[in-house]
Amino acid sequence: MPRLEKIEYKPIPVRELLAEMKNLSELMIDLAYSAALFNDKELAEDVLELENRVDTLAYLLEMEIMIAARDVDDAEALTGVSKVASAADKISDAAADITAIVMQNIGIHPIVSEGFEKVEERLTRVKVVEGSILIGRQIGELDLAARMGVDIIAIRRNKDWMIDPKDTEQIRGGDILISRGAPSGSKEFKELVEGKLRKLED
Amino acid sequence: MSRKRLKHFEEIVERFVELKDTSELMMDLAYSSLLLNSKDLAEDVQRLEEHVDKLHTDFELLVLSSRFKPEEAKGFLGLIRLGVVTEKIADAAAEIAEVVLRGIEPHPVLKLVIEEAEETVTYVQVTENSPLANKTLREARIPEETGMWVLAIRRENKWIRPKPHTEIKSGDVLIASGYAEGEEDLKKLASP
Repeated sequence: MPRLEKIEYKPIPVRELLAEMKNLSELMIDLAYSAALFNDKELAEDVLELENRVDTLAYLLEMEIMIAARDVDDAEALTGVSKVASAADKISDAAADITAIVMQNIGIHPIVSEGFEKVEERLTRVKVVEGSILIGRQIGELDLAARMGVDIIAIRRNKDWMIDPKDTEQIRGGDILISRGAPSGSKEFKELVEGKLRKLED
Repeated sequence: MSRKRLKHFEEIVERFVELKDTSELMMDLAYSSLLLNSKDLAEDVQRLEEHVDKLHTDFELLVLSSRFKPEEAKGFLGLIRLGVVTEKIADAAAEIAEVVLRGIEPHPVLKLVIEEAEETVTYVQVTENSPLANKTLREARIPEETGMWVLAIRRENKWIRPKPHTEIKSGDVLIASGYAEGEEDLKKLASP
């Protein structure tokens, strides 16, 4: 049983709390599918940690909403906010359910995960080869989102995963990158990482 | 492995991808319905939810009819669980859409959160002088040009689900999802 701690009230704007919940829940789904399909326990564990974070945010948000409601109109409008937050929480729970497939050694039939990898166009997992032009570059300066609609959501270096890496993080040879984004951009990105494409186009 | 069995596996993958894609499309559309306070879009999400229920049942039946050996059972259990998750995501999307269908104007904070998110949903109107007008989606190459992909098209109070051969007309409102960075490019393309 995980030890549950009391969550102390902290004044954080509803907007910030909900935005983080929304972003994290979507990130978690993508990471969780990757963890399940590549049978990666470390990544699965990181998703579970994010799940705790979302739970904490959900509590804080609930408190903020209660404080903010002064009359019936407020209550009506804020119930919508609460519903959306609870949906984001459910999505993060769903992501945690995916990771259970990995944590409990259930796994996905290998033929299916291979097939899935071939047809999945939004999520890619690819190793940086020596000679890729991305090596030594900071994620921020690559401007992947503007260039090709792709975002690096996790980096595995040595044995650790960096989730949602910072803009200043440098890409190194041997890194394993998980990215998500538009199908055409994902293909281009993969070619860059694998050293098949040698130029960053605008 | 026999050709028949390989074909069966291919079908499992196909059905799963359809489930996964539909549940994620529902999330995007649900947030869009909040952003636009659009009951039509919200109703679409609800309809998709029923569709996912059906897809999910078909998927489960397909997995269960795989005639697997006992030592393979775990791998198939994993598949069943993945299916359950897509359905949970679809349910969560339907709950978001419900907020709109209740008829209360969504709280302004919701709009801010959706617009500010890393992966954002945006809508643009196509003007007559836009290079997108009278092109099919395949010809328009919007993802290549902007990194955004079109989730839905609104034309004269009707919603059109985009297909590669769908033609874009001036006056259409495109609802698109992607990283915030692509939003400006899309706006310039749609209404130069």
